[in-house]
Amino acid sequence: MALHEILLQQLFNGLLIGSFYGLVAIGYSMVYGIIKLLNFAHGDIYMIGAFSGLIFLSIASPYIGAGWPSLILGLLITMLLVGLLGVLIQRVAYRPMLKAPRLSILITALAVSMILYNTVMLLSAGRYRAFNVDISSESFYLGALRLTETRVILIVAAFTLMFIMHMFITKTMYGKAMRAIALDRDTCQLMGIDVFKIIALTFFVGSALAAAAGIMAGVYYGTIHFFMGFLIGLKAFTAAVIGGIGIIPGAMLGGLLLGLLEAFGTQIPFIGTEWKDVFSFAFLILFLIFKPNGLLGRSESERM
Amino acid sequence: MCKIDEEVFMSMKKHWILMLVAAMLVFGAFGCAEEAADPVDDPVDEFEGEVLIGIMVPTTGSEAADGTDMENAALLAVQEINDAGGVMGHRLVTTTGDDGCDPSMATAAASQLVSEEVVALVGGYCSGATLPTLAIYGEAGIPFVIAASNATSLIDENPGWGFMINSTGLDQAATAVSQFEALGVETIAVIDSGDAYSADLKEQTIIQWEGAGYEVLVDDTVQRGEVDFSAFVTSIMANQPDGIYWTGYQAEGALLIRQLREGGYEGEIIVGDGSSAQELIDLAGDAAEGVYCTGPPLTDFLPAAQSFIEGYEANFPREPGAYAALMYDATNLLVDAMERAGSFDSAAIRDALEATDGFEGLAGPVMFTEDNTLARSNFVVLEARDGRWALAE
Repeated sequence: MALHEILLQQLFNGLLIGSFYGLVAIGYSMVYGIIKLLNFAHGDIYMIGAFSGLIFLSIASPYIGAGWPSLILGLLITMLLVGLLGVLIQRVAYRPMLKAPRLSILITALAVSMILYNTVMLLSAGRYRAFNVDISSESFYLGALRLTETRVILIVAAFTLMFIMHMFITKTMYGKAMRAIALDRDTCQLMGIDVFKIIALTFFVGSALAAAAGIMAGVYYGTIHFFMGFLIGLKAFTAAVIGGIGIIPGAMLGGLLLGLLEAFGTQIPFIGTEWKDVFSFAFLILFLIFKPNGLLGRSESERM
Repeated sequence: MCKIDEEVFMSMKKHWILMLVAAMLVFGAFGCAEEAADPVDDPVDEFEGEVLIGIMVPTTGSEAADGTDMENAALLAVQEINDAGGVMGHRLVTTTGDDGCDPSMATAAASQLVSEEVVALVGGYCSGATLPTLAIYGEAGIPFVIAASNATSLIDENPGWGFMINSTGLDQAATAVSQFEALGVETIAVIDSGDAYSADLKEQTIIQWEGAGYEVLVDDTVQRGEVDFSAFVTSIMANQPDGIYWTGYQAEGALLIRQLREGGYEGEIIVGDGSSAQELIDLAGDAAEGVYCTGPPLTDFLPAAQSFIEGYEANFPREPGAYAALMYDATNLLVDAMERAGSFDSAAIRDALEATDGFEGLAGPVMFTEDNTLARSNFVVLEARDGRWALAE
């Protein structure tokens, strides 16, 4: 492979990983925007999404197979269920803490994270599980770019979800309400917006997107694990900070950028795969020092 | 109102506590049942005396499954020896020290075993945990037959009282090199998972491979828990090595194999003993077909082990794991050495172990080098065929 072919391949790899980061980062960013909470349980929601998808497939595959149709059905059902789980967690764990100091709710989020992954660890006996789907892994070439059907569909699906999300935030009444609450919760309440309903909706949407990313990662990598949410949670947080935390387009952009940075970073001589995470978190530190509001954020900008 | 609610709440709470107690009782009962099935628990009085040996394995922590399995294998050997009249008329009894696969726990376990005045020891699973105990046993003058631990670092730290009956990383690297040669491979890529064991195996392989006059094209390391190998796959496709040697464990190994095959890599893939579990094939699916493994001598592939497997399964509710056969060998070797020494004196047992010449274990004949390592490599080459590991032809 010539250098430009390697770069092209890494560009595609970076965009694919980046779109997973982006999908998870959206939920991170939205929740921060609306209730100023760094929801550390968000990575675990991604993991629960992957496991729910696997459970759906194992129940449904005797009837409808494990091809694309049942995957898409599984994706939608899982997004719905995990979205509701997100709302439940919000209602039980975060809502009672909304008036408490910020640190208390942050610690609550850590506790929720531990409860979630430890529960799945017990249920899955701590083992890696194969995420077997009935999809051809035959590869084909698009110019010099080597692709598989799975990769193309996953990247299209991820970008579609991001686009729908963007439309939802910018064009609908609910999106407008979310942005308004992020600006000033008390005034919104006085204006007759049902703040708690919108917060619940934010959790629903964020969790559903993370669950979608979890299933996609399951399909892409082929194995899932109870601790898979930990690292991606940190990466999504990094992506959200790079893009400007609280800003939805920033989260998507930050995710894609982080994916590309990792993909190209590992191709620099002497920075092997081993240094991938060091590379991403070094960027997080640089951003926190030199551009703490992120790429799209200005200190006075609208947070949502 | 409030009072009634509180009462309802309290009775619910009591209910929960009752259920919890019930659950604990049920589990406790299972625990007792398991202990009662302990095979060494048979009262025989025709012995002249008792001789105490120590077992050091991890019975708690992340490696507890393999550790318990090894303990079971030793207990089975002890039971068979006692049924056959014991050692020189003495009844063999054991005491177990839990090293927890952790250096500091292992040090405490070793001191405890020494204070119990064991005449000799068997065990040793995690190399990192076994390492600091070598000096303790050496100082106390207690011979230690090391069943599984096999990092090359153990050789340098061994004051002469430890005897390794599992081949070391040096032997495994040699097995990998000769398998690559047999496959007609001339250039390889090597990748480890960043821990001491897999890095050590990788380094040994590079030294031996380059020493044989071949080339290493890619040398990389991934973090444990890594899921995305696309950067590595891209550099593999750019360099096109004939073969790849993965020295890490099955969880990352399965993903690596899958992504290599999906990325279009068609060369030979060999994995180290850390990936020898069936789980590797289950997780990697079809991509695992034709992958080779430089593995430990699993009982499934040892013709001599059939009666051991039957005896094991009759006594314990599970299949013998990867290192059970070696632990069984270690125990029998120790008893063999006691009989050859004709005494229970630790120094005499040590000398007898050193003089071991072709003791027939399940995993093959045992003989030691000057470093107290196994003279003949016991590594086998496995191949993934039809979703199972099988001996490679």
